[in-house]
Amino acid sequence: MISMKDLSVKIGSFSLSEINLHISEGEYFVIVGPTGAGKTIILESIAGLQRFKKGEIWIGGKDVTSLPPERRQIGYVPQDYALFPFLNVRDNITFGLRRLGDKKDHNKERVESLAQILGIHHLLERSVRKLSGGEKQRVAIARALAISPKVLLLDEPMGSLDVRTAKYLRLELKRYHDELGITTIHVTHNLIEAEEMAERMAVLNMGRIEQIGTPDEVFFYPQGPFVADFIGTPNILDCDYCNDLGHGLMEAVCGGVPIILPHYEAPVRKLALLPRDVYVTTRTPPGPGINRFKGTVTEIVPFSSLMKLTIKVGEISLLAELPQDIFEEMDIKVGHEVHLILKLRSLRVH
Amino acid sequence: MNKTKTHLIQGEKPFKVVTFGALALIVSFFIIILIALAAYTDTRSLLTVIASKEILFAVRLTLFTATVATFLAMIVAIPAAYAISHGNFFGKDIIDTILDVPIVLSPVAIGAALLVFFNTSVGSAVETGLMRFVFEVPGIILAQFTVVIALAIRLLKSTFDGIDQRYEQVGRTLGYSKSQVFLRVTLPLAKNGIIAAGVLTWARAVGEFGATVTLAGATKMKTETLPVAIFLNLATADVEKAVAVIFILVAVASTALIVLRKVTDRRRFE
Repeated sequence: MISMKDLSVKIGSFSLSEINLHISEGEYFVIVGPTGAGKTIILESIAGLQRFKKGEIWIGGKDVTSLPPERRQIGYVPQDYALFPFLNVRDNITFGLRRLGDKKDHNKERVESLAQILGIHHLLERSVRKLSGGEKQRVAIARALAISPKVLLLDEPMGSLDVRTAKYLRLELKRYHDELGITTIHVTHNLIEAEEMAERMAVLNMGRIEQIGTPDEVFFYPQGPFVADFIGTPNILDCDYCNDLGHGLMEAVCGGVPIILPHYEAPVRKLALLPRDVYVTTRTPPGPGINRFKGTVTEIVPFSSLMKLTIKVGEISLLAELPQDIFEEMDIKVGHEVHLILKLRSLRVH
Repeated sequence: MNKTKTHLIQGEKPFKVVTFGALALIVSFFIIILIALAAYTDTRSLLTVIASKEILFAVRLTLFTATVATFLAMIVAIPAAYAISHGNFFGKDIIDTILDVPIVLSPVAIGAALLVFFNTSVGSAVETGLMRFVFEVPGIILAQFTVVIALAIRLLKSTFDGIDQRYEQVGRTLGYSKSQVFLRVTLPLAKNGIIAAGVLTWARAVGEFGATVTLAGATKMKTETLPVAIFLNLATADVEKAVAVIFILVAVASTALIVLRKVTDRRRFE
């Protein structure tokens, strides 16, 4: 559906080099990476807003490399949405339809139905200046979708929203995507957002694609140190076998260590757990002994304000992170025996 | 000033005395001048003078020439300011500096330069073949235009500088060409700035004297704009008439500034 072949862009000292991406019809694709990785430039290149020195862009089997933005039929939602402040919500959404010169009745119908799907029907006659962040986002998406684009480009769509609104709108965004089936490219610096939304994702760093894959592939098989670091260097445990415990629980035994999980249909082959979700303590913790183990500290590495501890439990080595002050209070040394608590909710299963 | 009482922190008082003292001094200076002017004449004779043929002519001529000059200046300045604001080309800084010259240059110098130009072969060809400027009404418009165009470009450039390019980019993706986006997105976004620039440019054109008098001369009932009328009436010691014209100009300037306030105070976009 969309292909980028050897796309290379140079802006000042920044360069995007040889980007190759193929996104299928109807796919929800996320480009994730730290600030300054070049994510927006990729979107702008697809939209025709960015000149590049080398490469090709194909949309729907057509080479659009030399086409101006107005002839690419792309729905573009920039960061902060850029709603036209001199138009109300309805006229913002209708803006692109006017250009297409369709019949007025037809335009009206289209706007109404889009507003219905996006849940902004009650806002149509409002001034865009009086909308909340979440409402603005949905109006901007409606405006982009009105022209029936071949692809929807979302640049940090949750960037200016508070955490709760963002969480709700992520679900909504998924719903529109399922309902409309439009090919979507979503750019974000937020890994959680990427994992939640993406069918496939590309991890971008300093103008280069480090890895392309499903969120599971990226999480369980990170390619290279940057990706591993970006996703938080999770502990990845290979599981030997599983037992169903009933009551919606199961036990996965990884390297001789039994870990209790909510029940999964498919057999569990791998578990992933971020170092910050491994709690370390020198005293025996109170409460039931689920997912609590004893281990021996084998290595201690300071890392800015954190201490990274490698702890051997059974046959496996787990990486844990502790804030410096807590670490000093507990006075842990290499060779000491410590108690570990694994945060069940943060376990990822593959 | 703040109505709630605030405690002055030690050492702040001398500073406040100096700054507010300067402010009070300059405000009273202006007020005293206006009162002195008002004392020089009474309302009755003022109205008679304003209704006189000469002054009415000057008012009409000034409004006409300043409006035409502003209109022409805006037509050139809007695209030019956009080009210098959004364009990226070789020598942009130099052009930007050249455009500032008329702002700091004495208007008499601008008028003199234009006068000299019309004495060259090209200039006289324009005079004979196209339109007479020297000592004629078109000369007034040309003088005003030359003086205000740089100001108009400067003001409009800062308006265009303040417009986020994202709006235009979205406009493009919604199916509009570059020029359609300019008309349908950029101009509406710049509306307040354009009105403000137009008002200031117009007020500046109304008050233009140096370049006008040098190029178009100071002929009674012919090239007599309001500032020229002040000059001519002072020269013939007709002080009452001069004072009347001063009041007209003060009224015009105040109206322009009030309009400007209204426009710029209107809630800014985003």
